[in-house]
Amino acid sequence: MANIELLILLLFGSALVAYFLTKLSTMAGSIFTIFATMFVFVSLAYYGFSQNLDTSVNLIPFFSFSQTYLGFYFAIIIVFVYLMVSFFHPYYLNEYKYKDSYNMLFLLSLAGIVGAFYTDNFIQLFFFFELIIWTTMFLIPQGKSREAAVSYYGFSVAGSVAMLLGIFIIFQQSGSFQIEAGLAGLSGTPAVFVFVLFLIASFAKLGAFPLHIWLPIAHGNAPHPFSPVLSGALVKLGAFIGVLALIKIPAASIDIAAIDLPLGQYIVAILGSLSIVFGTLMAIKEDDAKKLLAYSSMSHGGYILVAFSLMNSVALAGGFYHILAHALASAGAFMAIAAVARQTGTTKMSELGGMIHKMPITYLAYLIAIISMAGIPPMGGFISKWLIFQAVINKGMVLVAIAVFFGSIGSFLYVFRPLAALFLGQELSEYKVKVKEAPLLMLIPTVIIMLLNIYTGVLPGALLGFTNNVIVELGFAPIDVTTFDITGFNGVLNPALISLIFAVGVAVAFVIFIILKKSRKVGLMDTYTAANFVHDEHVFHYTKDFYAPLERLYEKQSTWMTRFYAALAQKVMEVGRLAKTLFMSKYVEMVIIFIVGIILFLLWGEIL
Amino acid sequence: MTLIVNILVGLGVALFGFALQTSIGGINRRVVARLQKRVGPKWYQEFIDIFKLLSKRSVSHGWIFDFGVIMALGGIIATAMFMPLTSSFSAFGTYDNFFIFVYLLAVGMLGMAMSASGSGNPWASIGVMRALTTMLAYEVPFMIVVLTIIKLSGSSSLTQIQLFQQAAGHNWFLIALPIGGIVGFLALMGMLGKKPFETYIAPGEIASGPMVEYGGKQLGMLFIMHEITVFIEVSLFVHLFLGGATNIFIFLIKYFLVYTFANLISNVNGRFKIDQVVKFFYKWPLLAAVVQAVIAIYFGWVI
Repeated sequence: MANIELLILLLFGSALVAYFLTKLSTMAGSIFTIFATMFVFVSLAYYGFSQNLDTSVNLIPFFSFSQTYLGFYFAIIIVFVYLMVSFFHPYYLNEYKYKDSYNMLFLLSLAGIVGAFYTDNFIQLFFFFELIIWTTMFLIPQGKSREAAVSYYGFSVAGSVAMLLGIFIIFQQSGSFQIEAGLAGLSGTPAVFVFVLFLIASFAKLGAFPLHIWLPIAHGNAPHPFSPVLSGALVKLGAFIGVLALIKIPAASIDIAAIDLPLGQYIVAILGSLSIVFGTLMAIKEDDAKKLLAYSSMSHGGYILVAFSLMNSVALAGGFYHILAHALASAGAFMAIAAVARQTGTTKMSELGGMIHKMPITYLAYLIAIISMAGIPPMGGFISKWLIFQAVINKGMVLVAIAVFFGSIGSFLYVFRPLAALFLGQELSEYKVKVKEAPLLMLIPTVIIMLLNIYTGVLPGALLGFTNNVIVELGFAPIDVTTFDITGFNGVLNPALISLIFAVGVAVAFVIFIILKKSRKVGLMDTYTAANFVHDEHVFHYTKDFYAPLERLYEKQSTWMTRFYAALAQKVMEVGRLAKTLFMSKYVEMVIIFIVGIILFLLWGEIL
Repeated sequence: MTLIVNILVGLGVALFGFALQTSIGGINRRVVARLQKRVGPKWYQEFIDIFKLLSKRSVSHGWIFDFGVIMALGGIIATAMFMPLTSSFSAFGTYDNFFIFVYLLAVGMLGMAMSASGSGNPWASIGVMRALTTMLAYEVPFMIVVLTIIKLSGSSSLTQIQLFQQAAGHNWFLIALPIGGIVGFLALMGMLGKKPFETYIAPGEIASGPMVEYGGKQLGMLFIMHEITVFIEVSLFVHLFLGGATNIFIFLIKYFLVYTFANLISNVNGRFKIDQVVKFFYKWPLLAAVVQAVIAIYFGWVI
């Protein structure tokens, strides 16, 4: 029996060991990290699926744990992404300035993850959230920029503070810090407050509109092996709080009869839709491959919000499956980009080209990941998007449907961009010699994730069967899933059949291809050049402003949010300057007058 | 055992689609020739073109160039195998979910786009960029109309949608949802890449776009892929908006009429620029689709 308390203590302990081992040798510390992460993953997976974990607490005072299917579902996905990413550590850590602490912080944040999903108490939840934020905050600036960490920290803390306020309101009304009892005991106006506050926390963590601005900054500048964790794992914390707020708080707002949905949930669906559209448009425009994927995470966060706000089992199944599918797809894509960045030192698409010739396996991993991300069969993303479509169509929500379909087609556009500009196209001369395929230890997780992306798309029956447990736990009817068939509101899907037919189609095409005359192989520069002599690959490689005609249509609008936040930051700074002149100027009388003013203001309601 | 029979039937449907569209494409070349006071080629000219290409020796720009072509043709064949021909004939029964056609078609498109970009020619990449942008333009209004159809008929299976329209008391969706029908047809023009939405091929402009580097068997296979794609898209329109078909002859007549009509419109139009395509679809068709969806779903105004 694995004990949650022991797992967390073990992670704390191994964090210390990892620190000293990494000090001695990066390789030794990283290998130790891999094994520590693997131990946690294996114990969770072995006992967790049947809910056989030991949650008793003997050593840490005041803490208590409990296990739920919901928490386990999130925990296992996130721990899996952590495990996969840890294989990348030996090859990246040497570049970082504070490499000794990298593994330690990584393991500490993992301890926070395990704690957050297994706790049954709001105060502990807050504690573990802070643990995750504080440890990851020191990981992010080891990448390209320190400002990235500031932005990440600012938004995360805003989210946590909102959550803390919500927790206090819950305590005020129900007198309990217990998660289940506290949320169920809410009613009336406090319920609305908690709903809003928890959603602020959820949006800030998930990077959903309008709290998305940190996402590309943090994802784009984080260390290469940490971006997959951020996008595949940590933003899912927002989805977890989203579930608490949207499903577990008894709906207190007015019900919209036409679509049978409470107003609060409908607003969240609309905000989720805006996330999808914004994320898609910004991703289409982005030149940095990692920032592009970050915006795609924002758009997928929107899908998750839409799914959870629809309040029925098909939508919930779609949402939960989307969390899994996106975690795998996004981790796979970020890991492929990380492998490329390790070889070339850049993630800017306009500076890369033709990586496929030297890194075919990385290319395949990226290809499979983006097929899933774009929601094309036979990968996992298709299943979850299909379920979400079913739910949206069933509700007849036209505006949300526009966003959902737009995001789905738009994702073809943006995921194709790194494929075309970074992996395909002309092989640039500077990368012809020195670029090699990623080392074996990095290929292991890449290939595992690749296979899982396919598995989630071909045989989702077992996994959807498990999400059914989560759905039942949340108080909804399970969806109709057999080994092969998934039944939605208005149709039956058989993913295995689709995959089989796809294989048959490819086999037929392959036979046609192979029986025809063999073609002669020519170089990439031996192409149609309109009868001009082109001597340089760089001028013959179409990468910059790939979707220029489309981008031009929303060029002006695309900076709205950035300018809004810049203006907001300006205002905050002005307030700060005012406070500074009031409190820290050399005029003592000013300070005294102000303090007296504040005391008067505070006494206003009490005595005066 | 039944699965093997079904797969063979599906392959038959794909082959039938190829033969049908290639013949009708040939006939249409004569129709268009009459429009322009020419005689036009024989109706089987397109078969001759394709088989000639398949027999030629060609060049290849690396493994992804070939792999993309195989994936493109394979994806499209797979999609065609799910297509019902009439309301009672479909290789895989009610597994003919609408979303399979939209998204499995995308696998084929992705394969082709990958192969074209893999050739290293910038014209090909520009062509792919335009094709994807066009797709973003027409797909959203189309999906909103289909949402209305699925919501009204209660099923996303093409066979069920056909049966719903054929049932007594129901009209074809082209009549029941007239505004949506027009939007659907405009989207079909975009899907088929007919003028004025022909921007991504644009032979005189970007040297046939994605196709620029192909020759021999690769081009031949992409032609086959194109014919089957057209078959899928026109059949989708027939099944969704024209009440499908109760037997194969009705299907052939409806299919021929739709394709010829689209082709005739195409031949009296110029070509949009790519940003005009996007602006066009996101202005009136999207608005019309939303209006249609709202009045059909919430007000129940269906003819």
